[in-house]
Amino acid sequence: MHERLSFYVKRESALHQLNPLTKLTLVFGLILPAFLVPFYWTPHLLLLLVVFPLAFLGKVQGEYFTAVTKLILPAAGFLFVMQALFIPGGETVLAKLWFLTLTQESLMYAFANAVRIFVMVSSFTLFMLTTHPSELMSDLTQRGLPGQFAYVIIATLQIIPQMQAKASTIIAAQRSRGLDTESSFARRVQALVPLVGPLVFGSLVEVEERAIAIEARGFTSRRPKTSLREIYDRPLDKGLRWLLILIMLASLVSRIWFS
Amino acid sequence: MPIVKLQQVTYHYPFTEKPALQDINLEVEEGEFVAVIGPNGAGKSTLCYTLAGFIPHFYKGELKGIVEVDGVLVQDSDLSDWVLKVGLVFQNPFNQISGAKYTVFEEVAFGLENSGVPRSEIIRRVEEVLQMTGIADLADRSPYSLSGGQQQRVALASILVMQPKVLVLDEPTSQMDPIGTREVFGVIRQMAEQGMTVVMAEHKVEWIAQFADRVIALWEGKIYLEGKPHEVLTDERLVEKGFGVSRYTTTARLALPRGLWQKERPLPVTLEEAVAGFSALRNARRKQG
Ligand SMILES: Nc1ncnc2c1ncn2[C@@H]1O[C@H](COP(=O)(O)OP(=O)(O)O)[C@@H](O)[C@H]1O
Ligand SMILES: [Mg+2]
Repeated sequence: MHERLSFYVKRESALHQLNPLTKLTLVFGLILPAFLVPFYWTPHLLLLLVVFPLAFLGKVQGEYFTAVTKLILPAAGFLFVMQALFIPGGETVLAKLWFLTLTQESLMYAFANAVRIFVMVSSFTLFMLTTHPSELMSDLTQRGLPGQFAYVIIATLQIIPQMQAKASTIIAAQRSRGLDTESSFARRVQALVPLVGPLVFGSLVEVEERAIAIEARGFTSRRPKTSLREIYDRPLDKGLRWLLILIMLASLVSRIWFS
Repeated sequence: MPIVKLQQVTYHYPFTEKPALQDINLEVEEGEFVAVIGPNGAGKSTLCYTLAGFIPHFYKGELKGIVEVDGVLVQDSDLSDWVLKVGLVFQNPFNQISGAKYTVFEEVAFGLENSGVPRSEIIRRVEEVLQMTGIADLADRSPYSLSGGQQQRVALASILVMQPKVLVLDEPTSQMDPIGTREVFGVIRQMAEQGMTVVMAEHKVEWIAQFADRVIALWEGKIYLEGKPHEVLTDERLVEKGFGVSRYTTTARLALPRGLWQKERPLPVTLEEAVAGFSALRNARRKQG
């Protein structure tokens, strides 16, 4: 079935060694300036001067640029085209196409927005590539996040591939009993109805069994929990987090100040 | 002093008329290995849930009688304390995966993290248990990527690592091949030798005959027969009530009236016993000439 349940790539790198919370702060320390700072070239500079070097620093450039070409670039590109063509306004008309007008202003605006999205998705991608989900959860739990909360987050992250696998098993089973899932769209929607039952009901029964099973492993014990993973929080991490918080505040202030 | 004590235990699941367990009296000594057999719906899983405290703490319904482990009544204990004393390995291995861990190693460590065991001890105990249950080579695999039999080993390891006083197992080898089954029975026997008390619901009578100290035969929620493995497993009354019976027992039972099994010899449960019985008969006949 699904051997890989996370995006995490195990490597030895400066980025891997950072504390998970520091990396999470870094994600927002990139996104906020990209969206808030009123200087036009901010997201572009962030992308070139921070995000791309970070991918190399984390030694995940290969995985990252694969994600860029397969996912981020198409999504940002689509957004760019839509906004460039459909956002009204602007004086410098560059081209006219039937009812669509392309102006320099809307082109610039769309470009910046696309790069903002690029920065946002990239930061999250780099975060997930270099942070093991268990590590993030252990760290957050030790900082006081309730265990139940952490469990829900991490179990949800794992449930999607599980559900996909189960859905395909059920579909295969129903199809072998003659269920039509391949003809016209309406018929296929109709055919999906009997699949919902087993998927939802099966999941409910499993939720109950799983609840007992984690109970059997002492999950609700009131003793203070320990963690298998050793998570470091070095002075560098603390310093970086403060710096990032300052950057976020500065972006917010710059936004309010200059508008 | 028995460590497990059930007296007059009757249990109804919510909204059911018929009791799933009825008048159960059971005492288990420390270090004893008790096997529970019974046809589907006999109440084996319900008995396991009762011992492990999920009845009455998780499954509501009506529980009457006394359930006591290590001198403490189940009603007087929190479930989270009870599970540290009585460990339960469930019937379905897939639903026992915590769903919060990415590798088998982490999965097995989960119970120890929850009970606050220091990291170095977690690592030591997990490594030991992985060796013992024969899954050390799976340590870095995702628990979801394993076969049913491998998941059952992980489920067993995840509970064994917590070192409960009483180990309750609900058909823990149902998805295993004979080699796996043999290994698991061996591990459980070894735990019993070291003083762990074991109650195991299981169908595989040939293995029970070799490893268990005592057998309880459940039927419609009641204890129908109880005693030494061979006495219970070769009892004629099991057949009419639809219990699983060893094919060697059946063979010898058919051979007996035809003079192909010695009258004074107890019926066999395992292959070895059957072979020994049939060769003894052949040797006796040879002597007679
Ligand atoms: N959650 C439940 N709610 C109501 N009845 C149940 C529940 N679980 C089991 N039963 C009933 O209790 C009886 C014993 O079931 P169970 O303990 O699962 O038997 P076994 O494990 O021996 O197959 C059966 O008649 C079954 O239908
Ligand atoms: Mg059962």
